[in-house]
Amino acid sequence: MTLSDFTSFLMKNSKTIMEYSENHFTLVLLAVGISLAIWVPVGLLLTKSDKWAARVLALANTIFCIPSLSMFAILVTIPMFGLGRKSALLALVLYAMMPLIRSVYDGVKNVDRNVIEAARGMGMGTRRILIEILVPLGMPIIFAGFRITVVMTTGIAAIATYIGERNLGRFIQEGLIRSNTPMMVTGALIISVIAIGLDTILGLVEKRIVPKGLRISR
Amino acid sequence: MIELEQITKQYPGQAMPAVDKLFLSIPKGEICVLVGPSGCGKSTILRMINRMIEPTSGIVKINGEDVTRTDPDQLRMGIGYVIQQIGLLPHRTIAENIAIVPRLYKWPKEKIRKRVDELIVMMGLDLEKTRGKYPAQLSGGQMQRVGVARAMAVDPPIMLMDEPFGAVDPIARTHLQDELLRLQKEIKKTIVFVTHDINEAIKMGDRIAIFDAGKLVQFGTPEEILTNPINEFVEDFIGRDRVVKKLNLYLAEDAMQPIGCVVKGNELHTAAQKMKDAGAEVAFLLNEEGKACGQITVSDTEEFGRDIEGLRKRVLRTEKAFVQTTTPFPDALSLLLEYDTDYLGILKGEELCGMLSFKGIRKHVYRKEGE
Repeated sequence: MTLSDFTSFLMKNSKTIMEYSENHFTLVLLAVGISLAIWVPVGLLLTKSDKWAARVLALANTIFCIPSLSMFAILVTIPMFGLGRKSALLALVLYAMMPLIRSVYDGVKNVDRNVIEAARGMGMGTRRILIEILVPLGMPIIFAGFRITVVMTTGIAAIATYIGERNLGRFIQEGLIRSNTPMMVTGALIISVIAIGLDTILGLVEKRIVPKGLRISR
Repeated sequence: MIELEQITKQYPGQAMPAVDKLFLSIPKGEICVLVGPSGCGKSTILRMINRMIEPTSGIVKINGEDVTRTDPDQLRMGIGYVIQQIGLLPHRTIAENIAIVPRLYKWPKEKIRKRVDELIVMMGLDLEKTRGKYPAQLSGGQMQRVGVARAMAVDPPIMLMDEPFGAVDPIARTHLQDELLRLQKEIKKTIVFVTHDINEAIKMGDRIAIFDAGKLVQFGTPEEILTNPINEFVEDFIGRDRVVKKLNLYLAEDAMQPIGCVVKGNELHTAAQKMKDAGAEVAFLLNEEGKACGQITVSDTEEFGRDIEGLRKRVLRTEKAFVQTTTPFPDALSLLLEYDTDYLGILKGEELCGMLSFKGIRKHVYRKEGE
């Protein structure tokens, strides 16, 4: 493959690339959105009960261990889901369970107990303590988990091409079948650039989101 | 006033109750120290007052009202709370930390700002430098000052302090203790103070409650407890040196005796005669400005006779052998030993107003013991 093969592929297929990229982004965005909506509250809830935390975290770990191709294959066989977006979304949300729950749980659990004790002793209610203390102080760990989730979801989303998602993974899949190197490289490159780009952006956000008092030292 | 009526706290899975049928009434405006070995239930008792822990049975009353009638958060907002580990919010500035309870009360911003500034100054911290700092930028002693300021923010009538100075270095601890005592003279709060250190209890307490294994063993003023320990446990707990500890309760002015004789700098040669006339064993030398600058004993005058300059040198050796009216007995005793004298001059500010002797100290402590 020469560079001109590659650029001509890009030129000829710009429309498809746009469509696939859009699909890819939509899927990632939806999956991350749903995951946040479900797993953050679950993670917070688990901080209340060590027993349930152990159980749910073990389950999340187990799910996380299932290889993604197997996961998609299994979900497709469930009539309610079948081929397509529903299965893809469910798989991605299930994968996000481990990093999100774990980071929310660890983040909140790592907050100095004395700070919570003092706050409670001053008459701060449970909600206030959650919003004003637990979340901001747990944020460095929580956000790190979020960052991993986003990058991971971007990668696994590509594999959803095998169950009918028309996204950037498709370039790799078809490229492999047809031995079309420019096609393969295009898919691989764009996905990687997106993942690295997202990670970089989130890294910058992370720096701003950590409360100032935690970054400062004497 | 805080009243604990038949309070019991039984933790599940423990054979002995942590607190067992406790009656205790803590008078208004006093510092009541709960003291005892670890695990004696003192912290549990403290935490039942603001409902951080709920008793298994019994009633806690504040000013006659059962605390369970108030919403716990509301109750705690009205009670200052200081813990050993301080628990400042690390992501909030010092000013924001102090403002927590005023914010819960929804005070207007301007009022909060004023109060925060007032408290920072009151705690002896540099206002401009401290206000915008984060807890991580302060020393342990400074952090606990902020902890105390935060607890006093809305001027609550009751303060609960759980080993508040236990984690700071000894010098800072002494400072903090002294300052709390000084403040308490003005603010007159009802303070419940938990410590495991009997010396701190004696120093801080208007009243001391000694606990062992969840039971109140003795309750009384430091003087009562040091004078009449109720049983062997209390005796052991306060230590063999209880009479020496008692010295801490008294100040130089308590055993002050009138001055028998003073001698001006230029009439040193008349000292022997003057002392003889006054029947005094000791005289104090005043310099040109009328400030006391040393002491002369009868034996000094005999030793030096007509050698006035020798006598002057001897007298000036005791130039610093003076205490203030508020100096506690142990410091005075230390000076007596250091200068190897029988007497110390007592100053009020710069002015000589009396003297203190070994004999006087002994008599004073003995008198109290006999009461």
